[in-house]
Amino acid sequence: MRILATLATLTTLILLARDAAAQGGNPAGMEPGTPANHPNTQDRLFVQLIAAGGHAEVSMAALAESRARSSRVKEFARAMARDHSKANKRLAALIEDRIQAPDGPDPEHRATRARLARLSGAQFDLAYMRAQLVDHQKAIQLLEWEINGGQNAQLRRHASETLLTVMHHLEMAQAIVAELTRTAPQGLAASSVTRRPVKTSAQHGRPPSIVHR
Amino acid sequence: MAKSVWAASMSGLVLVASGVATLAADPLPPDVTHRPLPTQPFSVVKAKDEAQKSAIMNRQRALLARRYDLSDRPMRGIMMSGGRRAVQSGARVRLAKGMTWEALAAFSPSEIRRRGLLPEGFKPLPHVKQPTGGQVFPNREIRELIRQERRDLRRFDVDFDLPDHHTPEFPPPLFLTTHTELGDVSRGQLITIKNFYEIMNGLLTPVQMEGLRLLLTPFPQEEFNQTEDRKSADQSLGVACLDCHANFHTNAAFHLTPDVRPQAARFRLDTSSLRGLFNQQIHGSKRSIRSVEDFTEFEQRTAYFNGDHASAARKGVNLPDRANQVAMMAQMQSIVDFPPAPKLDPRGRLDPTLATQDELAGERLFMGKARCAECHVPQVAFMDNNMHDLKLERFYDVGATSNDFVMLPDGPIKTFTLRGIKDSPPYLHDGRLPTLADTVEFFNLVLGLKLTQQEKASLVAYMLAL
Repeated sequence: MRILATLATLTTLILLARDAAAQGGNPAGMEPGTPANHPNTQDRLFVQLIAAGGHAEVSMAALAESRARSSRVKEFARAMARDHSKANKRLAALIEDRIQAPDGPDPEHRATRARLARLSGAQFDLAYMRAQLVDHQKAIQLLEWEINGGQNAQLRRHASETLLTVMHHLEMAQAIVAELTRTAPQGLAASSVTRRPVKTSAQHGRPPSIVHR
Repeated sequence: MAKSVWAASMSGLVLVASGVATLAADPLPPDVTHRPLPTQPFSVVKAKDEAQKSAIMNRQRALLARRYDLSDRPMRGIMMSGGRRAVQSGARVRLAKGMTWEALAAFSPSEIRRRGLLPEGFKPLPHVKQPTGGQVFPNREIRELIRQERRDLRRFDVDFDLPDHHTPEFPPPLFLTTHTELGDVSRGQLITIKNFYEIMNGLLTPVQMEGLRLLLTPFPQEEFNQTEDRKSADQSLGVACLDCHANFHTNAAFHLTPDVRPQAARFRLDTSSLRGLFNQQIHGSKRSIRSVEDFTEFEQRTAYFNGDHASAARKGVNLPDRANQVAMMAQMQSIVDFPPAPKLDPRGRLDPTLATQDELAGERLFMGKARCAECHVPQVAFMDNNMHDLKLERFYDVGATSNDFVMLPDGPIKTFTLRGIKDSPPYLHDGRLPTLADTVEFFNLVLGLKLTQQEKASLVAYMLAL
């Protein structure tokens, strides 16, 4: 009995030590009476931000599926709707009751969606894709932050798995923006270009014959 | 023996006497090197400047129209790296009536000089107002800073002189060597003291972030300060480094070189891009400063105050602390990357499976007949970390005046990188060449290359891929 109690104390101590290590500077602190196993500030903020972002992705993808002119943008929007719905569900299953997750996009994303909703045609395509570049860049920062400093092992694993998908989304977005703006692909998309067969060689002033694989 | 001692002391007397005679002569006028102190009230100077402004700008427009065709003729489908502006096509420097580029290239330098055949656009480009000089910002930068910071960089004596389509896209994308996976990290915005923290949080180290903050902080400058000796209507908070080096690239803001006197002979400087600074070993078009730390530290007396430390002291110079602030600013600048060039391999050579035949032909010329790679070495980011004198004065009469600017030889100028070159018109240190095709014609003449039309076109195609 005494051995068990000692073991329990030890386990608590180890958990507390790990929590302390996982929290960086500027912790907001816990309310009095918070249960011992309450998720840390970082996990809660992560869930809040990533869930709001996930809802925003699905909502903007729905707009893009109906509004986009380019078939590649439509295709991208379908992929976003599919992947982010899946990720949202997976996240919801992981969330403990004690974490409050938003059930829709945050005000910033709602404003972006409203701005996009006023556009159409090629203007919409480019604005949507550029907003996607920024959102996926931000999501990558957020996921890397959680992988480093989150407390809940399942949330951190979720972040690790999601990061690979988000990197792939970013690469897709970079390739599409390059195509829409007739520029060389940037970032991850810059290292996966392949040559499009060209018939004639003496073409001045033609776009660089680069396509994304 | 005694005689030789006498002779020696006599010659000493003669030397002393001649020394006294030299001291008695007046030196050149007192403000030939130093900036004179203002002698008139601000309101008087402002009224005079404003009254002259339209004549000054008309004269500059006429000069530009004589030198160039600045119409908006973009290349089809060729955009700058951020996709916000098209690259302009064709050579824009005007030739004399009846002259062709081929006919011109057939003359020797001395014949061109004797007959006055050098196109005016190949000569040094004057500032809009040589006697005053100073920093002149493009309108898009001015408007955006008013919007974000309520800081107004308009001058009451001059305006920017080049049309937007002959300047870099705005705002330009920003690439970081520490986050090549992300591509442009600017979110399509001009990074300012207002938004930098939100945009860069998570991407930078605390040290880089503080360096960025300093590079975005306005400090007093010769034309933008709180004294009566300024060219902004209101007392100004000053100028930030990135007001010219917008998003660490360039917005084509121009200035006069701080490194030459007298004032009439100071040549124009086009803001250079800071992309790829991590590979650059010498800094400043004319000064060959050996580290970015040295350059950053001293710009408060050069770009800001024309190389006049006395004037700087009077207007409130900010001298950053070397051990901390300078180091942090330098570390931020040293992570600014070039835009992507997916057709280049890791050694800076075209990947033949990605490049077109035309681009490959351009590269062969670049490495051979056109002699570009003798200075713009592909494997060291298209630089050689040296300065070279093209001796353009072989082609024109030194000392001629153009819009109050006395054209002296340029002397040695730093080799600039050609990576991402399509993003940074106008070209050469003073921005005298509007397009890449102009640079090919310029070097064809200056280096006596005898390139054919097809070869010139291939070189342009190659440079667009860099």
